[in-house]
Amino acid sequence: MSESSPLDSNVLETMQTFVQRTIARGRRSIELANAPPQPVGLTPKDVLYTRGTLRLYHYHPIADEVYRVPVLLVMATTNKAFVFDLAPGQSMVEYLLKQGFDVYVVDWDPPTQEERGLTLADYTQDFIPTCIDRIAADSGEPEVSVIGYCMGGILSLIYGATHTDGPLKNLVCLTTPFNMHGMGLTQTWNDPRYFDVDKLVDTLGVVPAEAVTQMFEMQRPAQRMAGQLRLWDQMFDDEFVKSYRAFQRWGDETLPLAGEYMRETTKELSWGNKLYTGELVVGGREAKVANLTVPLLSIVAEHDHLAPRDSTKALLDKVGSTDKEEILLKGGHVSLIAGPNAVRRMWPALDAWLSVRST
Amino acid sequence: MAKDTPPDPSALFREWVTQWERNFDSLANQFMGTEGFSQAMNEFQKSQLNAQRMFAETMTQILTNLNMPTRDDVLRLSEAVAVLDRRLERIEESLGDGPAGQPSPIKRPPRTKQPPGQRKEAAAAPTPGNGKKKGAQKKSKEKKDE
Repeated sequence: MSESSPLDSNVLETMQTFVQRTIARGRRSIELANAPPQPVGLTPKDVLYTRGTLRLYHYHPIADEVYRVPVLLVMATTNKAFVFDLAPGQSMVEYLLKQGFDVYVVDWDPPTQEERGLTLADYTQDFIPTCIDRIAADSGEPEVSVIGYCMGGILSLIYGATHTDGPLKNLVCLTTPFNMHGMGLTQTWNDPRYFDVDKLVDTLGVVPAEAVTQMFEMQRPAQRMAGQLRLWDQMFDDEFVKSYRAFQRWGDETLPLAGEYMRETTKELSWGNKLYTGELVVGGREAKVANLTVPLLSIVAEHDHLAPRDSTKALLDKVGSTDKEEILLKGGHVSLIAGPNAVRRMWPALDAWLSVRST
Repeated sequence: MAKDTPPDPSALFREWVTQWERNFDSLANQFMGTEGFSQAMNEFQKSQLNAQRMFAETMTQILTNLNMPTRDDVLRLSEAVAVLDRRLERIEESLGDGPAGQPSPIKRPPRTKQPPGQRKEAAAAPTPGNGKKKGAQKKSKEKKDE
């Protein structure tokens, strides 16, 4: 009998590990199937204001002293804001608090049928200004920096462009699709020759969350399956599993859209591209980003499929601000703001830019 | 020795998943990015909406005949409740008794923080703000090797 070679023993060991892990994966997947939803949004906060779909949070400061100017994060109306606060160590809110910012967040609840008539004007001329008034009353500071994510960035831009004498101190747009004609697949699917937004809104009132989710997922049809395969592969890594489940929960809790808001964003922003062209009028006010003069930072992702590069790159050229900067980072639409990439890349970049403008 | 190490099945699997996802998405996007797909998808949506509208009308008719509240009736009621809710909220707030808007008992640190490295210079140096800083436009890109 010949002695077994090192190669044979390595193969045996690899096979043994593989079989053991496969059995353990099966066991873990059963545990996960019965597990409660991954806890998210754990950073302590107060609900400062609620009205219908709107919620304004104030997070409890962590630092011994904070920057003078408070920060308001504005979430897109299609998603819950807990992506800013996924889990301890993976929370942009927690990071900003530790860096010494006083953090407020605009979150959205699903709009009800009686809120189907909400328009861009409600969001940008009522909700955001009301939140900013509340922040001023709560913090005692007249100025505020606004950070908008995705369509939250669009709402923040419209707010800023229509309140040029207002309390806005700094504006940060995260993955904001400013030029809607550069939105690739979404633009193709919204082709006005085929997409009957009036029929959709008139029939449904509120556009269901499933339709919104479908629109997102269709752009990366293999993503969900690939994600599940990766979860299966890394079932032993507790941090990976927690992170996956938190992101999954965020994706699954997509919000419905108020019908009139959907109609208006489709016609004015997507078809007309009026924020980009400077022709947008909201609530009787001209929303020209050329009128924006506050310091502006645009942070965009290189591999963003929801706000592709063509839709984000023109912002700096169009705003009136002289203090303006764009930071292009590796990553995608969501990994830019949450997860390991964000921890390493985006959050420090945001802190570096905002801290010197928050005193 | 490197030559004696068998390939790690997990690493191979991960690589395959990434490649499969990339190829599948690319192929699907080519197909779904066509005008024909957009037209077909939107036609399908219209037919779904037509069916939904017909169903809703039929249900409304049935509920009306049964002398029961329709969806529109419930919505009107819901709107009325929402109006009352908002009024109550305003009254509670004016009485300083609401769940939101109350002064929070949390600690309020002083708003004196200065950016790291600028603590000493902060008082002297002007802060960039409100478009007063000239020539500050900057575009940066992360290094490729990061």
